[in-house]
Amino acid sequence: MGKKILTPEMSALRPDLGEAVSILEEKAPYGAVSLSSREYTRYLVDNNQERVMPGEPTAGVILTAFDGHTMREKGVGGFHRDELLKGAKEFVSGIHFEKNGKLDPGKERVEDFQTEMEHDPALVSTQDKLDYLREMNQRVKKIDSRIVNARVSFLEMREKTVFRNRAVDLAQDVQRVHMSIMVTAMGEKGVVMDWASKCGTAGLEVLSFSDDDLEKLVKNAVGLLDAGRIEPGEYTVVTAPGVSGVIAHESFGHGVETDMFVKERAKAAHYVGKRVGSDLVNIYDDPGYPGAFGSYFFDDEGLPSKATQIVKDGIFVRGITDFFSATKLGIERSPNGRRQDFTRKVYPRMTNTFFGSGTMPLDELIGQVDDGIYIPKVSSGMEDPKGWGIQVSGHYGFEIKNGVLTDKIYAPVGLTGYVPDVLESISSVSNDFDLSGGYCGKGTKETVPVTDGGPHLLMKVRLG
Amino acid sequence: MLGKIQKALSDNQAIKTWTIRHETIHGFQQYELKTSTESQREVTSELFTVDVLCDSENNEGKPGSGLGTVSLLPGADINSALEKAVLTAQLVHNEPYDFAEPAPIPDIELADHDYLEDPAGKIRGVLNTLKEITGSFPHVRLTAAECFGQEKTTHLVSSKGIDATQKDTQVYLQWVYIGGIGDSEVETFAEVYRRRISDLDLKEEAALRAQYTSDLLEAQGPPSYTGPIYVQGPTLAVMVAGEMLAGSLFQTLSSAALKYSGETPWDIGKSIFRGDVKGDDLQMWANRQLPYGIPSSSFDNEGIPAQRIALIQDNKLAAFIADQRFADYLDRKPSGDFGSIEIPAGSIPQSELQAGSYIEIAEYSWFNPSPVTGDFACEIRLGYIVEDGKRKPFKGGMLVGNLLDALADMRWSKETGFYGNYLGPKAALFNNLKVVG
Repeated sequence: MGKKILTPEMSALRPDLGEAVSILEEKAPYGAVSLSSREYTRYLVDNNQERVMPGEPTAGVILTAFDGHTMREKGVGGFHRDELLKGAKEFVSGIHFEKNGKLDPGKERVEDFQTEMEHDPALVSTQDKLDYLREMNQRVKKIDSRIVNARVSFLEMREKTVFRNRAVDLAQDVQRVHMSIMVTAMGEKGVVMDWASKCGTAGLEVLSFSDDDLEKLVKNAVGLLDAGRIEPGEYTVVTAPGVSGVIAHESFGHGVETDMFVKERAKAAHYVGKRVGSDLVNIYDDPGYPGAFGSYFFDDEGLPSKATQIVKDGIFVRGITDFFSATKLGIERSPNGRRQDFTRKVYPRMTNTFFGSGTMPLDELIGQVDDGIYIPKVSSGMEDPKGWGIQVSGHYGFEIKNGVLTDKIYAPVGLTGYVPDVLESISSVSNDFDLSGGYCGKGTKETVPVTDGGPHLLMKVRLG
Repeated sequence: MLGKIQKALSDNQAIKTWTIRHETIHGFQQYELKTSTESQREVTSELFTVDVLCDSENNEGKPGSGLGTVSLLPGADINSALEKAVLTAQLVHNEPYDFAEPAPIPDIELADHDYLEDPAGKIRGVLNTLKEITGSFPHVRLTAAECFGQEKTTHLVSSKGIDATQKDTQVYLQWVYIGGIGDSEVETFAEVYRRRISDLDLKEEAALRAQYTSDLLEAQGPPSYTGPIYVQGPTLAVMVAGEMLAGSLFQTLSSAALKYSGETPWDIGKSIFRGDVKGDDLQMWANRQLPYGIPSSSFDNEGIPAQRIALIQDNKLAAFIADQRFADYLDRKPSGDFGSIEIPAGSIPQSELQAGSYIEIAEYSWFNPSPVTGDFACEIRLGYIVEDGKRKPFKGGMLVGNLLDALADMRWSKETGFYGNYLGPKAALFNNLKVVG
């Protein structure tokens, strides 16, 4: 706890959190106090404008009182000692708690964590960041005259959290970075766009783009000007890691967040220990994955990060939890209790969700396909935890003929199916691996950073 | 603190113009499970957001404007925050523009005064009402519900002389209906944003969702079909106006910023459609004055007053939606934020639209057309094959098409409805869309 990883206001308040927890636990079987500060800034340069856009910061105290039945919370903006202690007393004074002994606060642990970085964005000037984006914009727009705009954006997010209960006193300083390049091309048929992105829980060192990366991006964007619509039907499909990851995310990600079990929304609740896919299917969620955009050191309920295997060799093993749903279901907690910010409650949420890799080289995997589609990029996905339908919108797809990828392009390519059918159809898994970062909501709210990924997968699904 | 920020801004000679937005938020959140309360939360927050505009020069010495923004929590160090904003503004190079001038600000109805009388009690009341209504549907059970209420006060002042305040409320409700037993269970998930509790239309919405849940139990596999597609209610509103917090294809393609950067093919006076219009002509307003519309406001973050803009007239684009900056660049009047989509009533009663054989799409997994082309391929959560007045539910399959092509060949209903960010016909019959089974 020697390093100064918190803001001065958070550091000043931290010594009083133990007293606040004691006040809460004078009445509640379980009390916890969190300090949460989340700031982000987005930098944007395109052909016509430059912007530096700090997001609205959130910073506040969360008082939590739990009796095993109802999780009560009060979130107050700012970090003020008087309000903390007085607020804790007032908060629990009017509440009737169920008598439930003392709930387990977890193993004793006192530790501070900070993201390891080679180039901390906080130490790089705004001038240098803008100059880098300007250079990227120039590099992209000169590649092809049909490019009408090259929008380069960089996002830096800093999350500082303190979690305190009876046994745990943890702090973390998590730095996330995300850079994307969106290219818009105009042709006779209209406007098309494509993008490339890199991200991580890391410093600026993870954000470099090679000339090959940029040329491939522009080639694909311009290629979309001639894209056709795919004839709807069932196809043999190869999914790139980002697309594979969204299939994991929408099938055995959202559907196994255990609040869904408590709410009777999860079909998976009836399939614990049962087959849900082919032997080749292994799905994980790992908030401790080094450097991944969805990683952290401990979750918003003070549980240290570790990987959870959700599906093993095609058999559904377990879901991912927060404190409430694990208590309600009587199962072991996983470190997936996450909140958007101090104004929101914790839910069980995904972090870095992915298929495990296989053994087959990618060219060998594609070589098996006589007539099929390769989907390299995803634009969105949607879960259906009860019906086990799945919708993944591929941004585009390339034709595979006689084991070779062609330049024939289709856009968009919607992938749908019944989850067990899709997973059962997976017949080959490549030996590569990649993660793609983005944001995930619960319904239309509760946004948190995540990654999805895995290897390339060979499957049979319906496209349209 | 507002006065101190104003003084610090006025004292800083490097700042050309500025605005301060002071927002205070107070909210209640309640989360219900089948037989118990999962969680109760109360949240308060306060924030000052400052925009400063400074002169800047690019690498060739060409003069321009730079924007710097900073957000301050109460008690923050004002001077160091403003220094950072000014430094940023001086590093950002854009064509010259200015902040919004003062203009008369309309008094738009944004707050639910009934909610404000007893926020926590009203939120509990919504959930209790939902439970009571659900009791009258024997085939479904309510297993979870969340209801949030929020009151926000925004005070905006600017160096140009704008000094305006607005108070708004927002109510969010989601719930889950489950039908059936064990492995054959089905669910319907509903999510509604409104400014007033009375606009949740709880009775009607709950009855519709209960019906969907019951029908899902009987649903068969999807057909393969090309022909008329009927869509109504919130599902139609999402098709036209987009998800509540995400915006629509119309919002994207009518953006003055995209016009300036050459990224929209739309132009004033030209048809927005690729071919001939075979059905009703399209008329559309971007309406930020709509009472209790979720995107409505008396003034937006720049202080631009709410307007009702004729966006599409007789299928042709009539206006681009411009903030102050892109209005300056394109030499137009600023419109500010987009607002809700408003479409006039059609001429045909719903009953006539439903006279023949058709497929009705009741729910998508997610209707998410490409924001630039309008192409879509969306999974169907629940649909009905309607023949000879009989409705057979189905689930699965995809609706495939292009939103603009679909809107060029359809009829609107005479009846209208309000769905948070959409005021317009309650139903539509698209003449020729494809379902892939």
